[in-house]
Amino acid sequence: MEPELVVPTMEAIRRWSGVSVPNAAARHGLADHIALIAELEALRGSMAFEEEPSNFEAALRACKEPGQ
Amino acid sequence: MNAPVAASDLADLSMTEAADAFARGELRAEALVRACLARIEAHDGKVNAVIRLDREAALAAAAAQDKARAAGEACGPLAGAPMMHKDMYYRAGKVSSCGSKIRRDFVPPVTATVLERLDAAGAIDMGTLNMAEFAQNPTGHNAHFGHCHNPWNLDYCTGGSSSGSGAGVAARFFTAALGSDTGGSIRLPATLCGVTGLKATQTRVSRHGVMPLSFSCDNVGPLVRTARDAARFLRVTAGQDPKDPTSAAEPVPDYEAALSGTVKGMRIAVCETYFLDGADAPVVAAFEQALAALREAGAVVTRVKAPSLAAIAAYTALVSRVEGAAIHANWMREHPGDYAIHLSARLFGGYAIPGHLYVEALSRRGALLRQFVAEALTGHDLVATPTLRIRVPTLAETDIDADPANWHRFMAVSANTRPFNYLGLPTLSVPCGFDDRGLPVGLQLAGRPFAEATVLRAGDAFQRVTDWHRRAPAL
Repeated sequence: MEPELVVPTMEAIRRWSGVSVPNAAARHGLADHIALIAELEALRGSMAFEEEPSNFEAALRACKEPGQ
Repeated sequence: MNAPVAASDLADLSMTEAADAFARGELRAEALVRACLARIEAHDGKVNAVIRLDREAALAAAAAQDKARAAGEACGPLAGAPMMHKDMYYRAGKVSSCGSKIRRDFVPPVTATVLERLDAAGAIDMGTLNMAEFAQNPTGHNAHFGHCHNPWNLDYCTGGSSSGSGAGVAARFFTAALGSDTGGSIRLPATLCGVTGLKATQTRVSRHGVMPLSFSCDNVGPLVRTARDAARFLRVTAGQDPKDPTSAAEPVPDYEAALSGTVKGMRIAVCETYFLDGADAPVVAAFEQALAALREAGAVVTRVKAPSLAAIAAYTALVSRVEGAAIHANWMREHPGDYAIHLSARLFGGYAIPGHLYVEALSRRGALLRQFVAEALTGHDLVATPTLRIRVPTLAETDIDADPANWHRFMAVSANTRPFNYLGLPTLSVPCGFDDRGLPVGLQLAGRPFAEATVLRAGDAFQRVTDWHRRAPAL
């Protein structure tokens, strides 16, 4: 049975992006978002928002091998 | 001229073996190109790796190299090595289909920096290769140019998205190929086809003139036979490019010179969770055997906990999907029927992800990189995982176009590779055995940012004590 979130999500995508659901597989993919939402829900409150810009590029340089 | 390489062996030469034999005067470039063309003509009807074969241009380029060398002119480090590349590397004036119907006739106005660097190094470009449509699937399905087939067993996936690159290197159609890697698209076809693939540190190789999928996670890199090949290929292609402002300014070392042949004293971490969750037994067996070989060669293997992987896995899923959806928004509005079913389905889901979560995923990327390095790479040089945690699937059981219920098997293919795109870490996949159905298994080695030399050294040392990378499929 298709999860409840599929139809309202399809409608939100159509309104926000102008993209209509292309096929049945796309509905199947949206149903898969339930698991992703659960994963993200579990992360809530676990980390602070990073305020500094370009943090990823800085981390790449900071995490190099010692002496490199 | 030294003793020539036997004609029957030519297509079996690795990229560095071919280039070195050419430089020593033991190999004529034209003879090798002809051997590769013969392999393509004999077997590509089954494998379907090639999109465009530039036969006459390749023969002319090879003949010109033979003439130049005979005249005593200096040759580049890749001279004499025939290559073909995923059909998303732009060459001005030549069609770059990106594996799609939408761009079937697209002629780019620019040439990719990476192609210019390969040309300058003497690589012989023989044409373009099959790929997942817009580089957007991990299996090798393509509704427009036909699925690419695994040379080890034609019913099985090649892995994607660089399907033709993996299949063609395995089938001895050419010595090396460019792939691209946003969630595993170099390492997966390398693993599934039993060859070697390298995704370097994010920003290490210029992306100018390359079809974008996800600006945050796209990488350019090679599929080749050996870690030594990957080392030479990377040295030629890496480095800052004024045409790609995101490319890194870090100096490019001589990776090949750093291949000491040993892992003695190298410390390798194996994460206790995530990468082996739900893994198939034959894959685990081959992985453990690979660890034993590394241990026997002098490496120290330790099991570690890396709790950051839960967050990394969740955020990884967001970034490339949102960026891919944004890139394709106009076409998804105007030509949705021109995409394969599985691709429009996948892109569609990207429009549902809230913007604040995308920003959150990007904002935490640096912090999670630092955390993962602290958990897994502090006190260790490398992290080892299976590249693909399940056995190689068949084309049929991952075909979403035929049955949407195959969605989960399809998405599971890139579970072990995607996290390293989010983290931006250099990651190499080398063959490490076969499963119970005779399909290859891959060992994935990841290092700290810009530690490609360490990753390649371990891969090369592994290939000196094993012979998985030397095995070729019987076509």
